[in-house]
Amino acid sequence: MIDPVELQVVSGALRAICEEMGAVLIRSAHSANIKERRDASTALFNPGGEMVMQAEHIPVHLGAMPAAVAAVLDEDHADGRAWILNDPYRGGTHLPDITVITPIFAGEELIAFAANRAHHADVGGPTPGSMPADSRTLEDEGVVIEPQVLDEDAIASLSEQMRQPEQRRADLRAQLAAGRVAARRLAELHERVGAEHLAEAFEEVLDYAERRTRACLQELDDGTRTARDVLEARDGDLEIVLEATVDGDELTLDFTGTADQYDGNLNCPMAVTRSACYFAIRVLTDPDIPPSAGAYRPVNVVAPDGCLLNARSPAAVVGGNVETSSRIADVVLKAFGRALGQGTMNNVTIGSEDVVYYETIGGGQCACPDADGPSAVHVAMSNTLNTPIEALELEFPLRMIEYSLRRGTGGTGRFRGGDGVVRELEALAPLSYSLITERRRHAPSGADGGGDGATGRNLLDGEELPAKAIGKLQTGQRLRIETPGGGGYGNPDFAENP
Amino acid sequence: MLLGVDVGGTFTDAVLAFDGGLVTAKSPTTPEDQSEGVIAAVRAVLEKAGRDAADVAEFSHGMTVATNALLEGRGARTALIATEGFTDLIALGRQTRAELYRLCAAHPAPLVPDDLRFAAPERMVPDGPLRELREQDAAVLAERVAATEPEAIAVVLLHSYRHPEHERLLGELLAKQLPTAHVSLSHEVVGTFREYERAATTEIDAAMSPLLAGYLRRLVDSAREAELPEPAIMQSNGGLIDLEAAAGHAAWTVLSGPAGGAAGAAFVARAAGTPDALCFDMGGTSCDVCVIEDGAVQERGSGEIAGRPLALPMLAIHTVGAGGGSIAWRDAGGALRVGPRSAGADPGPACYGRGGTEPTVTDANLVLGLLASDAPLAGGVELDLDAARDAVGKLADELGLDLLDCAEGIRRVAGAEMIRALRVVTVQRGIDPRRFALLPFGGAGPLHATQIAEELGIDTIVCPRASGVLSAVGLVVSPRRRDVQQSVLLTGEALTADAVSQAVADLGERARNALGEDEARLGATYELRYKGQAFELAISASTEPEPEQLRKAFEAQHEDRYGYSDSEQTLELVTIRVTATLPGADVTLAPSGDDAAVDRGTREATIGGEQVELEVLRGAPPPGTEIEGPAAIDLPESTLIVPAEWSGEVDDTGTIHLQRQ
Repeated sequence: MIDPVELQVVSGALRAICEEMGAVLIRSAHSANIKERRDASTALFNPGGEMVMQAEHIPVHLGAMPAAVAAVLDEDHADGRAWILNDPYRGGTHLPDITVITPIFAGEELIAFAANRAHHADVGGPTPGSMPADSRTLEDEGVVIEPQVLDEDAIASLSEQMRQPEQRRADLRAQLAAGRVAARRLAELHERVGAEHLAEAFEEVLDYAERRTRACLQELDDGTRTARDVLEARDGDLEIVLEATVDGDELTLDFTGTADQYDGNLNCPMAVTRSACYFAIRVLTDPDIPPSAGAYRPVNVVAPDGCLLNARSPAAVVGGNVETSSRIADVVLKAFGRALGQGTMNNVTIGSEDVVYYETIGGGQCACPDADGPSAVHVAMSNTLNTPIEALELEFPLRMIEYSLRRGTGGTGRFRGGDGVVRELEALAPLSYSLITERRRHAPSGADGGGDGATGRNLLDGEELPAKAIGKLQTGQRLRIETPGGGGYGNPDFAENP
Repeated sequence: MLLGVDVGGTFTDAVLAFDGGLVTAKSPTTPEDQSEGVIAAVRAVLEKAGRDAADVAEFSHGMTVATNALLEGRGARTALIATEGFTDLIALGRQTRAELYRLCAAHPAPLVPDDLRFAAPERMVPDGPLRELREQDAAVLAERVAATEPEAIAVVLLHSYRHPEHERLLGELLAKQLPTAHVSLSHEVVGTFREYERAATTEIDAAMSPLLAGYLRRLVDSAREAELPEPAIMQSNGGLIDLEAAAGHAAWTVLSGPAGGAAGAAFVARAAGTPDALCFDMGGTSCDVCVIEDGAVQERGSGEIAGRPLALPMLAIHTVGAGGGSIAWRDAGGALRVGPRSAGADPGPACYGRGGTEPTVTDANLVLGLLASDAPLAGGVELDLDAARDAVGKLADELGLDLLDCAEGIRRVAGAEMIRALRVVTVQRGIDPRRFALLPFGGAGPLHATQIAEELGIDTIVCPRASGVLSAVGLVVSPRRRDVQQSVLLTGEALTADAVSQAVADLGERARNALGEDEARLGATYELRYKGQAFELAISASTEPEPEQLRKAFEAQHEDRYGYSDSEQTLELVTIRVTATLPGADVTLAPSGDDAAVDRGTREATIGGEQVELEVLRGAPPPGTEIEGPAAIDLPESTLIVPAEWSGEVDDTGTIHLQRQ
């Protein structure tokens, strides 16, 4: 039996292993996505495939790691034989996120899995950066890696199908190295506490997180709440519909009634839908609950097979991971009476066959029931760093014209929503661009009497572009992105005095 | 005779070093004006030593004036001039939110408000000026800024790290318009690329310098009155600088306080013959850890303070919120947790008897008999065992544990937090802690030392005799030093031996000038990366290195840290940092006789679930004293616990060495 002390000590040790795995991955990777933007996650699983602990780098990976381990669980495992995948329909999320899974052995016995996931700067396909705004099937988005053994041959053959193969090789090796570090550390822990004890500790860490979540859910009022919102597809809006039911210490999030999957790329595999729901639940409950699978045992996420949020192969998904995920989190928060943040990552990819630049841009955060929303931040499923202007201008044929706060764009309210951002770039050579953005037609809503945030805008030399756009930039052309403001909270006319 | 004075949270410590010995004294810190406490501590130590102020040859000082102001978000009225289109750089930050799931948690607000941010009509790009700053435009701008009557101005223009001409022009014009205002130019204060970090650091420098200068003026007046020499000031990098230079650049002294402690610990480590040590300074509310390698505290090129980046070299000190006052509690999932809430010094732990009722780490140590219940703590606090038992007992009931198991649990959970901090500075950076000694200090450090050593696989502990004044000792022995850094971004054919040594020579001249010593020794650090990487590794090398040498050293470290290197890839020299130093004083740590007496006794304690009788040594044990666990050494300012598997002796300098069997 694990006592309350051992529980805390072991879960601290597991968290430290995940953090160290992340440190190795981020520091040794080559692509800016992983190093500068920290678009990566690491986690440990028990031999049964339940996620025991995760390092919190980026929320979009929260609930999506377990599917990756599940996809290789029944394979023949051996010490030193790692696995790789990115297929959204077999454990992945979208193609640029490549997951590496390392089984961990103590002698002959499989004691755990380490998994890490990183957003690669390119995974092949017709569009540099592999973030096409106009993909219609998965094939349009890059190389699909079904679960397979990751060895030097695999590294070589996969990298060759992608742009900047040297960088791909380095990133994949970094992922392997991170898995090896985790294996070493966990074996040390195993030696210290003993085999049986470790298995028990895993179980208790999972149960503990479950107890914490149940205690929080218990405090919410029983009953059903509904919310709906839309995504801005090229040919019209796609509706997301939610019925959220709290019953005692359990929560059901039912997306029945949501639009069907379609021939654009805002579709999500179920793993991404779960991640987005878990993100919102962490916001609504207690962020201090350890991010283990146990925390989500009391949560049931329902999305009908073949709908936008539980898409079937070969639907295109690249925008689902970065944009639909934000909207899923939004409807959950909205159902519980919250104002909404900018609700998009403002994905901008600019490149040529030789160079690829990808960035996401922050905007206005929602106001909270007790505080103003911060300005110019990533609001939900992402929390990546920007690329410094001085680094950008040294490495890419781009010049920044303006980078500023977009004042007055946050929603009014007793607490104000945060302001968006203006980021304007000039091309110094002929380049292609791809924009995957949202909240260009529908504003982030305020709550409890608070005003909506302003919608965002995409401009090419002053001409407005749609929310999803691809095209060419000639030398001297300027691409200007104005990101949305966050929704306000509370009626501004009611002062807080009684 | 050398004098060092360090301002801590509760006490201001003074140390006098003369005739191969040290005399120490303390006085309460005076937060309103730290200089009052400084002078009081100086008087106390002079009196104790029976010496005159006139005998003091050198006076060095560490303080927390700028740190405290930053923590409170206080600063002088400061204006910012930035490239047109980029005046919001600091408000924009790096676009990450402060906390992942607390959506409205905010970063600290910029120190310069919206209405004091000014756009400069200019633009540098990597190759030079794209838009020249015309002199008449610059003059108009300087006038507009002057009209708002700022006390300080930060000037941050894009790419000024390699093209500083426009910043210089503005600097000259501002000096004419506002002769009394403080002007911080980003290329001069920081010098490295990555505009946000350079801007935020320059803003701190501008906003804090007038405050720091005011403090130092008051201090220098009081010092002159007391017939003391002008103090030299401790910087974040562990080196001293003269008062004038410190007042001119507050950003360099923001971590003055902790730097003194780390420098003192490094001195003890060297004197004890254990040049590789992990330093572990646990106080009431927090725990600072750092790595000493080859007798020197590890440094880093940049860091963070109070949520703001600081792109300047500093000692690599990592802080976690676990201290003696950290409160233990049961969370909603039934786990025993310690911190982050702290009982602080007021009301303090339950056993202080000042109204605290929640159990703290200190209470757990008292319940277990590790802390003596019959002797007051340093500073005269009497401990109330019953109050501690009540507080820990309540939590034990909630958790379904015995009183003693609960107390041990509190120690283990608190220990886990500190072990994590030590792992961050070691294994996460590719350092194996097992080849280091553990050097515990601070009021609570030695109580937890063996527990932490055992978890990290460390077999040697060196514990300084008088840990409370370590910071002041650090001040006395630290070198004089100034660093100058610049991003050069040399790669490919441009990365030649000539280009590097020329850049080093230029920086070296600036560093020596800043220090006011033409003969100061120069050292160089090179921040390198493979082209395209976003992190650099710092390599120390000669001031005239061959590129091949740099490559070799870089790849060895890359291999060490990240498990691979790649001789095919292009190397990029990002930043050069040149350090000018004058060595610190040679001081002997020998105890000054009078306090070297110990009382011996025993007390009952619980260690690892076992009842044991500890042999107790109270006081500062003299050199040669042998120690055999289980024992407790009740030092003047802390208690060192020695479990059964540990033993050792006291060396010539009074430092206690322990070995695990």
